[in-house]
Amino acid sequence: MLGAFLVIACVGGGSPAPAATGDLPDLGPGVTVGHLPSGGTVIVRPAQGAPVAAIELWYRAPSTGFGAKPVPATARLAAQIVAASRPIVGDSLGKAVSAAGGRLAISVYADSVAISAVVPAAAARQIVKVLTTAFFAPVMTEDGYRDAVRDVVQESQISAYDPETVARDAVFGELFTGGPQHFPSLGDPKGIAAISLADARSYATRAFRSQNATLVVSGAVDPDIASAAVAGRSGDDPSAGPEAPAAAEVAATVEPVTKAFGEEAGSYGWVGPGIASPREATAMDFIADYLFRSDEGIVSREVDDKYPEALMLGQFITLHDPGVMFVVYSGSNTAALRALVDNGFATAQKAMDPAAFASALGAFKYHLLSDLQTPTQIADNFGWYSVEGAAEYAPGANGDAGTYFKTADSLTPDFVAAVAQKYFGKTPVVVTLQPVVKESVKTQ
Amino acid sequence: MRPIVALVALCSLLGAAPVSGPSTAPESTLRYPTASVTDLGVTKVLSENDAGAAVSGLQIFVAAGLDRETPSTGGISALVAESILRTPIDGVPLRDAIAASGGSLSYTVDGRSVHYYLEGRTEHLGALVSLFARAFSAPDFSVATIGAARAALATRQKEFEKNALSVGIQMFRQTYYATSAGGPALGNVSTLAGLGTKDAVAFYGATYRRAGVMASVVGVVTPELGDALKALSAGLSDGPVVAVQERAHAIPAEAPRIVAHREIPAPWVVVGYAAPAPGSRDFGAMLVLEALLSDAFQRSSTTTLGFVEKPIGAVYLYDSTPASLVVYVNGTQVDPSLALREVVVVAHSLSIKPLGAPALRQFKTAAEGQFISDSVNLSDRAYLLGTFASQGLGDDAINAAMAALDRTTAADVQRVAKNYLQRYIVALVLPRQSPSP
Repeated sequence: MLGAFLVIACVGGGSPAPAATGDLPDLGPGVTVGHLPSGGTVIVRPAQGAPVAAIELWYRAPSTGFGAKPVPATARLAAQIVAASRPIVGDSLGKAVSAAGGRLAISVYADSVAISAVVPAAAARQIVKVLTTAFFAPVMTEDGYRDAVRDVVQESQISAYDPETVARDAVFGELFTGGPQHFPSLGDPKGIAAISLADARSYATRAFRSQNATLVVSGAVDPDIASAAVAGRSGDDPSAGPEAPAAAEVAATVEPVTKAFGEEAGSYGWVGPGIASPREATAMDFIADYLFRSDEGIVSREVDDKYPEALMLGQFITLHDPGVMFVVYSGSNTAALRALVDNGFATAQKAMDPAAFASALGAFKYHLLSDLQTPTQIADNFGWYSVEGAAEYAPGANGDAGTYFKTADSLTPDFVAAVAQKYFGKTPVVVTLQPVVKESVKTQ
Repeated sequence: MRPIVALVALCSLLGAAPVSGPSTAPESTLRYPTASVTDLGVTKVLSENDAGAAVSGLQIFVAAGLDRETPSTGGISALVAESILRTPIDGVPLRDAIAASGGSLSYTVDGRSVHYYLEGRTEHLGALVSLFARAFSAPDFSVATIGAARAALATRQKEFEKNALSVGIQMFRQTYYATSAGGPALGNVSTLAGLGTKDAVAFYGATYRRAGVMASVVGVVTPELGDALKALSAGLSDGPVVAVQERAHAIPAEAPRIVAHREIPAPWVVVGYAAPAPGSRDFGAMLVLEALLSDAFQRSSTTTLGFVEKPIGAVYLYDSTPASLVVYVNGTQVDPSLALREVVVVAHSLSIKPLGAPALRQFKTAAEGQFISDSVNLSDRAYLLGTFASQGLGDDAINAAMAALDRTTAADVQRVAKNYLQRYIVALVLPRQSPSP
């Protein structure tokens, strides 16, 4: 059965999106920022290099739905149904991207959703049209629903074996007492199957409207590619704004969490500064890079040398409010890994020698640029910071002369140490994953 | 920083039947930036210019790969490379010195070469190369450095042995290649234990010569980088690099099986085939077959499946000469016996009947998409530019590969399937105490 029949108008004329003005962020020369025809924002960042385009739609939307009762996986399932459903004319989004030789992914975070297509550049214009057609006026069919439930259930089953996902869900579940941050974004197979098509449709109608969207296109594309985006539903009010961010309900106190899992693993989590405190947030990014950068962070290097089989990941997740420092590790000796993590955070709370700090800061800035070398990385970055409400703070906005790099340049050893003491001095959530639950202070 | 999330949702490029109806194939030719070549005397530098790139990447290829090892020196290529990364520069190991200077350095040993990847901010890359050149031209092969390098390799080799797919591919390569090109990239514990300073000095002296080095850059080649590469080349000794014999065993018709057991939950199957070199007229068709075999058996999914979710995949290995293609079956996702039979049947069908026009278009589009998606970052592009150029695709090598793919016909695909996919070696990696499939 087809969903509601909706009128879609294609934007003609091929004129480029307007330059950044007024309420639109300034992301630097070569980056076009404008309004979508029915509201919402479009960011286009052409780049030389591989003939590939990253096309991403980002939404501010809670993973657990808009209802009073949070339902994990609502956003994930709704987006998957949209991508899987075949409209009256043409193929589903999934098939269209596949037929173009591209790859399609859907990522759901606590309070945002990203639909990402990576396609050969020559197909970019067509996929912009197909993607915006699919999401701005979603057609959600019974067949699409059936396929989507199958896919998301399988994804959920696989993620249950991923220590990072399990640990992150546990950390967020303890750091936040309510709101979408408290719940896993994917949920379990039973819960996924219990979400009805009607509920998913209701969610999609509100969440995926054009006015709530940020369309980001990066790669070997024309600056006027935004003209391929379609308008939204005929009844949409272009002046309607995006959704407000979900209010975070931060726990006053936290307790250790122990969960059963297939292998031994551990995790830490602290709340950190929100995006409104960019200098502190940048300091947290610097600390995460200095300690946990893959192959190069001081903790990562020590783990590589002593426990090469171990998994060790650490990062600061910049969010509207608050951010979260998250670390996860697994291996044959989790006690030793935890000791290395503890030692790393203790080191971060001491002011670094100025020469060592200057070197680490230079390395940090190089890492930022290295992590922005592909169209997907650029689009992810602009999309993420846009929905978090601080597009101009995105690393890469205005190249290495923008807000982020200027803020990084303002960091000092004393300030970084003070930020570390401020946030890591508090009790973290400590998550223990183990094959058999022997003893737990609190079991989720 | 935005969160790093693994790509977990995935979709197949191909269903059971080719898609009919309007094609979404690109309407214009896809091209990478046209590569240019700079001759620095003996050493050649290929480059793709991404105007304004904030970060640039450099691959330095040395003709010191596995094909120059012997049975008794297995692992010497990696041992020398590892020692170079550990060579002190002003008291700091090279790799750390480069990291502290705002760059990164890694190396990979493959069949035909060892290649070092250096990356940094474009304006710093020349200085990073100058740092690298100091260790590259005067490596530390002291007992202490060799010992530390050997220990690091042994640890990584141990980890490698836990990866069933890597083990399966290695088993195939060792059976297929008639030379040491099929040996384990990091050596093995027994051969490494016997290698020391004298072996490293001898291998380095015979292979790290100006004539055996080439480089490829993606990003921006600054004058400082050009000067640094010239100096790097000048720091190496002159003299010829001895040619190596590149040979593989003929694969027998009876499809030999080789078996290994590991601590894994489910079997993995690796089916290995001979394959054409990149410079061959069959290259484009084999890229199409790689994409086809990689995706023909996927379960249906709207979003693109990630590695762990793929029951069957294919990898075209053109790092060695002759090249090879492996198709792998993940036994945690699918019945390996059934999947193996399907792979064989599909390969046979492709050899007796040409693809129809819609199917060919679809598979070429899929191959093109896969090729481009796997060749986006600086490291991959610089590697492909160098390795393709050295195997006969010319200086503008990546675009030449794209062109080879573009001109592939149904007859090409059928011919290549017939010539290469009818004989194969099966490597089985089984859980301990599990019956063979």
